[in-house]
This record gives sequence, structure tokens and C-alpha cells, in this order.
Amino acid sequence: MADSTTGEQNITRFGEEGLRGRLERYRELRITEEELAIALLTPVMLFLLAVSFYPIVDTVWASLHTGYVIQLPTQSTEFVGIENYRKLFSDGSFWNALGVSLFYTFVSVPIELVFGLGLALLLKADFKGKYFAQAAILFPWALPTVINAKIWAWLLNPDYGVISDILVRVGILSAPYPFLSKPDVALYAMTSITIWKTTSFMALIMLAGLSSIPDHLYESARMDGASRWRRFRDITLPLLKPTILVALIFRTLPAFQAFGLPYGLTGGGPGEATTTLVLYTQQAAYNNPGPTNGGFALGSAAATVITMIALVIALIYVATLYEPEVR
Amino acid sequence: MSIVDSVRETRLEDVALWDVGKRLGFYGSILAMVSISMFPVFWILLSSLKPPSELFVFPQEFLPYTIAIEDGQPTLVQQFPLTLENYRTALQERPVGRYLINSAIVASATAFIDVVLGAMAGYALSRLRFPYKLQVLLIILFAALLPFISRLIPLYKLAIDLQGTAFGPFFGLNQYLGLILPYAAFQMPFAVWIFQAYFNELPASLEEAGLMDGLSRVGVLFRIILPVSMPAMATTAIIVFIYAWNEFLFALTFMTQDSKRTITVGIALFGGQFNSPWGTITAAVFMSLVPLMVFMLVFQKKIVEGMTAGVGKA
Repeated sequence: MADSTTGEQNITRFGEEGLRGRLERYRELRITEEELAIALLTPVMLFLLAVSFYPIVDTVWASLHTGYVIQLPTQSTEFVGIENYRKLFSDGSFWNALGVSLFYTFVSVPIELVFGLGLALLLKADFKGKYFAQAAILFPWALPTVINAKIWAWLLNPDYGVISDILVRVGILSAPYPFLSKPDVALYAMTSITIWKTTSFMALIMLAGLSSIPDHLYESARMDGASRWRRFRDITLPLLKPTILVALIFRTLPAFQAFGLPYGLTGGGPGEATTTLVLYTQQAAYNNPGPTNGGFALGSAAATVITMIALVIALIYVATLYEPEVR
Repeated sequence: MSIVDSVRETRLEDVALWDVGKRLGFYGSILAMVSISMFPVFWILLSSLKPPSELFVFPQEFLPYTIAIEDGQPTLVQQFPLTLENYRTALQERPVGRYLINSAIVASATAFIDVVLGAMAGYALSRLRFPYKLQVLLIILFAALLPFISRLIPLYKLAIDLQGTAFGPFFGLNQYLGLILPYAAFQMPFAVWIFQAYFNELPASLEEAGLMDGLSRVGVLFRIILPVSMPAMATTAIIVFIYAWNEFLFALTFMTQDSKRTITVGIALFGGQFNSPWGTITAAVFMSLVPLMVFMLVFQKKIVEGMTAGVGKA
């Protein structure tokens, strides 16, 4: 590279080229690859530093102190070590929320994956009206989560809901059923709604993966007399593995951070039956931001725990997946 | 071969019932999937057009009209009158139009920032040689794994602290930038990834040709690379736009003033937890869905293509 100067040549700060040479190049906008790369990457790195990495550090810092009080700058915060974590871990609601989030995540994601793959195999074919069908099937994915929650709250309304109505008409139920006000059932309902919404997203990713599998593999397998199932098991599945792992990361982390759905659907109820970790954290932080209770400190501790768990999940996935594609 | 010929050539036993069944099964499945996906929207539309008295009955009416045979003549029988009353109430009681505009401003600006910065970084990571490239890429992708909630509290505190200072109008509560900047940062790793994957697929000869023609590196970037990366830009813009349009946690926290709320927050705060005004809610929800449905119909192909570029190569 042009800039790699030996110690001997590196007499001036600008190396063999000298300041004049540099200015000359800049004037002509003939900068080196390295300089161009720095110029192109600096905005993104600054952005991420300010809005992603600094807040994480601040959250960890806050979780080790007494509650910081907004709008009262005179109030000082005090280092309390793991006190907030002790408070958090002795709160039954926290463990309940952890359980809810784990159930919600690890039940919905595998089901979405299987349904999504099936849907993608359907959508792979060319057929009349494919464009509209695809748009309609992808629509739930684009639907804002909290609006989705409102829609399903109406569909599952305990007295007038159309889901009860349909189930009564086909004879499964004899009267409207309050799906969202039974503690056991509400979590299943919420999980099902997420599966309804996100299967289309899974299908989208799977479709992308399927289209990257070369057709000639199937051709030659067919010539060799491989059955449809064999072709699926020995060609599609293995070649789809990287896509499946990407899809798992793409869905597991957001599912683990579910907030809008429980907020809009049930408000976390009945009781705490659908209070996810993030909803718990948000409530801990914002319903209780007083100086003594330190809602923000407790919320920060909970947020830090969520970060840790998310990173562990991501690490497990990445360890099985990561093959950097850098030239 | 014309259709007639192909029909003539096909022996009857070849047109197996199996084939017909397969086709029926295929279209049946597609139809079922479309119905399952769109039924909630149909139901919201229907509910929003019902008069309040019809909304709170069980069982519910599925169609405004039915056909009955009266005196041997098929006649339309009205089950309930269709009304726009709910829409009038929604628009009068809540600034639904304002919410939609707020969402559009925030989502467009977020998409714009991510396209510009994502393309820059993606280009550098794909096409340029420089030290610590892999590490830089890993740091950017790592940011995508960090939970949003752990960035919420400090940013909220920051927004409060900046209220009333010179930065307040830029990054305080109830400022568009207060949402735009976090959203752009959260989706940045995704944007960078899409662009990086896209640029990796472009042949190197493109730039070499430009350099031979005497263009500078920057000239190559603007004259050659940017024009051919329109597809990646479109995909990134669409997906980031949808993300920003849909986000809820930050929008709920940062927009405390009704006139600054986005559509998701506006609708979520419609009515109370119990005793919700379902007529106006369904009307507002349907109004919020119309732009989305148009968007999906117009850009669906781009979304699918974009995911192919980004995900298929992982």
C-alpha cells in the first residue's frame, strides 16, 4: 500500500509523500482506499457509539447505583453494587416475566419456522395471482405490532368476538369464550397471534434461502430417482441451514423483547400472565421512577439482565453460524 | 405446440385425477393462507362500517346483505345498514391524520439516514482494503444484537436532561429527531449488511473500467456504483421505513404530547383498557392499514428481492 512507510522514510508526519502531496491528492479527490474507508465508516461508527454502545454502558452503570432522578440534578446517585440485582432477583414478578418471555419465545419461534418453510415452499411455485397472494400473505408481517394487538383484542373480545362466534358456529364452543381473561389461555392466545403474524416473515426469509439453491441439484437428483421427500431432506434442508440459523436469530431476539403485543392485547394481564420481560422492565422503570424506589435503577438492572440473556442466545446461534464473508 | 395439440396428445389416463387433485390442493392452500392472513383486516373493515348497535351483539353478522328466496324470487335482505359514522367520530375525536403524518415524517427521515450512511459503510466494507475490516464489521453487526430496552432508559434520561437546553429542539421529548436518531441507529447494522452483501455481488470490472477511464475513486463511487445500487437502496429504505412506522416502545416513551404521537401510539392509547370504543378503534385501525396495504402491493417484490440479497448469502 502506498502509505506503508518504513521508519527511515517516516521523517515527517505525512511520510514520504509529504504534506504537499497529500493536499494535492485531496484537491483532486484522489484519496487512498484507507482514507476513503475511514471517511465512509466514521459517521456510522459515531452513530452506533452514541446511540447504541454508550446507552448500554450507561444502563449497566445505572444498574449499580441508586435510582437516578430525572429533573432533580441535585440528587446524587450512590454506588450500591449489586443491590438492584438482589432486589430484582427477589421479585417474584421478575421470574414470572422471565418464564413468560421464555415460553413465548421458544414456543412461537420453532412453530413459525416450520410453518414459514411450508409457506415458502408453496410460494416458490409460479402461479396465477402470485403477486397478490404474496402481498396478502406478507401483510401480517408489515402490520405494526401494537395495531395487530388491537385487532386481535377485538377479534378475541370476550363477549362479541368473531373468533368465539366462528367456533360457536362450527360447534366447538357453546358460548363466547374469554380467551384473554383466563390466565392459562391468555399466554397461548398471545403466542398464537405472534405465530399468525410472523410466519409470513419466516416465509420471506426461507423464500430467499430457497431461491439461492441451484436448480440443477434438484434436476440431477430427480434423474437419479430421488423421491420428493429425499430431495427435500438431502438437498433443501442442508443447503437451507444457514438461512434457518439467520431466521432463528432474526426472530428469537425480537420475540424475547416482545413489548407491543402484550401492551396492546392484555396490558400484561390477567394478573401477570402475559407480562413479558420488557413489559415488566418498562413498568418497573416508568411506573415507579421516584427517588427512593429507584425505578430507573431497577429497570436498568432488568434491562442489563435482558441484554445478557440476549447476548447468550445470540452467541449460541452465532457460534454455530458465523462464516464472515469479507473480501 | 398449441393448446389443442397438447390436449390431443395427452392420453386420457395421463390426465390423472392426481394432477387435478394436486392443483386443487395447491390453489386451496394458497387461498387458505390468503384468507387466514387477510381475514382480520376484513373483519376490522366490516366492524368499522357497522352501526354501534350491531357491533355489540352475539352472534355477529358477517355480511351486510344476505340473499333470501321470497315468493320464488331471490331478493337482497339488509342485515344492517353500512355507516361511516365511526370514521367521522375517529377523525373528530382524535387527530388520526396528524398521527399518520408524524409517522410518515419519522419513517421517511429514518429510511433516508440509513440509506445514505448504510451505503457508505457497506461500500467501504465490501470494496475497499483497509486494516481491521473484519473487526469493524463485527462491531457494527454486534450492535444489532443489543436489546432495545437497554438503550431506552439512558436515551430517555438524556432527552429529559436536554429539555430546555440548546439541544432540546433536536433531541428532547416530543421531537421527531428523538425518534429518528435511535431508529436509524438500531436499523443501521441491517442497512450496512444489505449494502455490503449487495456490493459483494457486483463485479470488480465495473470499477476498474471507471478507473481506466480516468475517474477518481470518489468519481467511480458517484458515477458508477451509486447508480447501480438503486435496488439495494430501495430495499433498505422500504424495510427501514416499515420498522420505523411500526416501532412502539420508543414512540410511546418519547412522544408524550398528543400532537406528536405516531400512528401506533395514537391507536394504542385510543380508549381505555376496558370499555373500549370499538367502533372508532376499528375505524382508526382501518385508516392506518390503508397506506400499509398500498405499500405492500407496490413494494412487495422489492422486499422479497432485498431479503434474497441480504439473507440468502449469509
